[in-house]
Amino acid sequence: MKRIAVFSLVFALALALSLPAAASVPGELLIWIDGERAPVLTAVARTFVAEYGIPVKIQELPFGDIRDNLAIVAPTGEGPDIIIGAHDWLGQLVSDGLIEPIDIENPSLFLQSGLDAFTWGGQYYGIPYAIESIGLFYNKDLVGEDGIASFEELVELTKNELAPKGIYGLVLPQPDPYHTFPFFSMLGGYVFGVDEEGVLNPLDVGLANAGAIEGFEFFEQLLNEGVIARATPYDTMMSLFQNGQAATMMTGPWAFGDVRAAGVNYGFTQIPSYKGQYGKPFLGAQGFMVSAFSENKLLANIFLNEFVATKETMLAIFEGDPRPTAFLPAAEVINEDPDMRGVMEAAAEAVPMPAIPAMNSVWTAWSDAIELVINQQSTPRAAIQNAVEIIVQTIQESM
Amino acid sequence: MAKLIKGVFLGVLNVVFIWTALFLLGHQAYWVLLLLVLGAALVNFIFISEKGYPYRYLLPASFFMILLVVYPIVYTVYVSVTNYGTGNILSKEQAVTQLQERRILDAEAGNYTYTAYRDGAGELWFLFTSPQGELLLGHAGRLEPVQEGDERFSQLAQFTELTRADLVRATNELSALSFAFDETWQLQMRNINYFGVYRPQYEYIRERDELIDLESGTVYRPVLGYFEAPDGTRLTPGFREVIGLNNFRRLFTNPQVTGPFVRVFIWTVQWALLSVGCTFAVGLLLAILLHDPYLRLRKFYRSVLILPYAVPAFISALIWRGLFHTELGIINQVLRATIGSGVPWLQDPVWAKVALVILNLWLGFPYMMLVCLGALQSIDHEMYEAAVVYGACSWQQFYHITLPLMMVSVAPLLIASFSFNFNNFSVIYLLTRGRPPMVGAQTPAGHTDILISYTYRLAFESGRGVDYGLASAVTLVIFLITGAITFINFRFTGALEEVRKNV
Repeated sequence: MKRIAVFSLVFALALALSLPAAASVPGELLIWIDGERAPVLTAVARTFVAEYGIPVKIQELPFGDIRDNLAIVAPTGEGPDIIIGAHDWLGQLVSDGLIEPIDIENPSLFLQSGLDAFTWGGQYYGIPYAIESIGLFYNKDLVGEDGIASFEELVELTKNELAPKGIYGLVLPQPDPYHTFPFFSMLGGYVFGVDEEGVLNPLDVGLANAGAIEGFEFFEQLLNEGVIARATPYDTMMSLFQNGQAATMMTGPWAFGDVRAAGVNYGFTQIPSYKGQYGKPFLGAQGFMVSAFSENKLLANIFLNEFVATKETMLAIFEGDPRPTAFLPAAEVINEDPDMRGVMEAAAEAVPMPAIPAMNSVWTAWSDAIELVINQQSTPRAAIQNAVEIIVQTIQESM
Repeated sequence: MAKLIKGVFLGVLNVVFIWTALFLLGHQAYWVLLLLVLGAALVNFIFISEKGYPYRYLLPASFFMILLVVYPIVYTVYVSVTNYGTGNILSKEQAVTQLQERRILDAEAGNYTYTAYRDGAGELWFLFTSPQGELLLGHAGRLEPVQEGDERFSQLAQFTELTRADLVRATNELSALSFAFDETWQLQMRNINYFGVYRPQYEYIRERDELIDLESGTVYRPVLGYFEAPDGTRLTPGFREVIGLNNFRRLFTNPQVTGPFVRVFIWTVQWALLSVGCTFAVGLLLAILLHDPYLRLRKFYRSVLILPYAVPAFISALIWRGLFHTELGIINQVLRATIGSGVPWLQDPVWAKVALVILNLWLGFPYMMLVCLGALQSIDHEMYEAAVVYGACSWQQFYHITLPLMMVSVAPLLIASFSFNFNNFSVIYLLTRGRPPMVGAQTPAGHTDILISYTYRLAFESGRGVDYGLASAVTLVIFLITGAITFINFRFTGALEEVRKNV
């Protein structure tokens, strides 16, 4: 018995010593990336290895998990050098001390709004590859080739032509602050105000200012007049538009696939104007960031600047998952696609979604206010004023 | 043979132990390493020594209990007294390191281009060109001006010049270098193409635990997880720190929390009671029906009725959300066709609660049915024969025999089910997310929020981002409440057992 134990111990020791040590080594890049872009980066990594002989490891993670996993793993020294992510993670990642400013060699190659989205405290924290914002899908068979330019036009058209046929003028996901924001912003509402230094002030919430309330009341009016279908969740909204029961639909480029699949004769353009002012949607951007715990920060910068910020890589990323690019040399090619041109138009009016952590406390209260109005349980003014009170209190309490 | 199997098993276990130990050694996690060594010694002792034999079966159970129950509780208690959350996830050491590494670029000084050389001994030499065209020779942290034709300049020709690929491969080495201009300004690598003129932004004085801004002279001292200036300005990143009972204080003094607490608590209790009551009533009824030996196709019914239990709750909940849809849901379509009007299932506070109870009934009755079937089968049939002899009707049989005897085995499960539903976050979250919202609410609390879903909002939708410290504090408070209720319940069932003993 004892002999067996001793033998097994010796054998175990020998085996254990022959296993490779598990520790991150400088001089080797580790990239966390989502499944859709992993194949592209794997190919890019191969050229990098061929050129410099520096190994690059690609680890695939679901896009939404990357931020939380970085917070857990990076401080232990086991994290990646480069991650992929969304611009609205920036506030959290920077205040956590998890990402590092990036030295973008040639900023003029990027779309300004994409760069702005990845700017924090005057420094770039990411290399953007795609931007997106919601816009207006329109059914050409119902509203004509050119779509709808203003909400006044849409109301008129709905009353005279669409409503008698039982067709809604507009559908959007409800209750959903992200999709309803253009109504708040078109006459001057905003989420967070900006101080003299251009920094977002979390205590200046502009969702209940005069312009925001007027826009929100207009939204209620459209619901009451039956221009907007009431209380439609995303999938209901989609089926109404797909079946031709709604003439227009406010949502983002992720819906192209579903709309095409239904065979709708559609166009995509910016959100209509009201009183001559365009509804500004939120702009979102995705990009590559460098971990503050990377042992290879400069190497990561070289990899991103010289191998990722290239026309070939950006086009390959686009082909893997078509989203409007933030890289201008690739945009020339990509924008020949009318859908992408539409998204670029829509994004031109967009404002970056605030990236500060305080944004976490905005969504629910705001969504509740919208829901109360949709359910006709409160006036827009009372609902949004109450919501802003809650938001400001919550933010104040945690400061 | 048995010995061989045991030996191989122990061997494999030891491989895992040793490998983990080396891993921990590499990460300098000495405390965990110590625990591991002690644990491994214990395991080997128990398996090799005859004296350890009785503990052989106790050990794995204790191990997993410590790992899966005790450790999480201890850790939650620890986190609840820290400020762990957005902005405070690094250790103080890491935060100080990051702040110390922060440097300020002298933008006016411009970019210095460079050529790098390696001498015979492998040491690096640099020839920098300033934006004004001056040449500087850099080696071992020192800089000196050179001219073309100098002795030192021509010396460089004997060294190996680094190609661009060499430079890329050596970036980690190059970026660690620093050449002093004077006491403040340093020439450091900016990117692969240029060096820049930098100075550090902060200096950390360890003895006094102070961080000094080298430009303004402002002194930052650690206050509750941040380096803070006298005027209250905080530096990011902050760090994890024990902040005592602050999270609990916030919980009990914040009107946003205390305000809706009672209302949310009452609904939580209602919800747990209704869930247990309805599922038990339906489960029991079906169990009694299926227990009847004269029922045809008994096995078929039983299999069909267990189906809702077999389908993942997530899928069921999402399907029910569709069924409850006010305009398009099948339930309202049927209601409209039969009684003329639908019900605002998820918009009206009362109906939303009804919808939740219906969903939970659907998810929960098969479990209760199974439990009751088992309990029914264990009741001795002679009792009923005796009851018939004494002339008891079926209701009397049920009330005086079936129910009390069944309760003995089922009551603890009902209590467990109560505690489970008390914290049944997923059903609430999947069907209503705590909605519908309240008109004029003081906080973002909805009509169907139970304690756990409400506190989830507090912790994960806080103004600073995510607040694990507060979340842990809340969890502990809920743990105490559920614990107290369960304790009282068990006392109650203890009384039931007394009844049984007296029978």
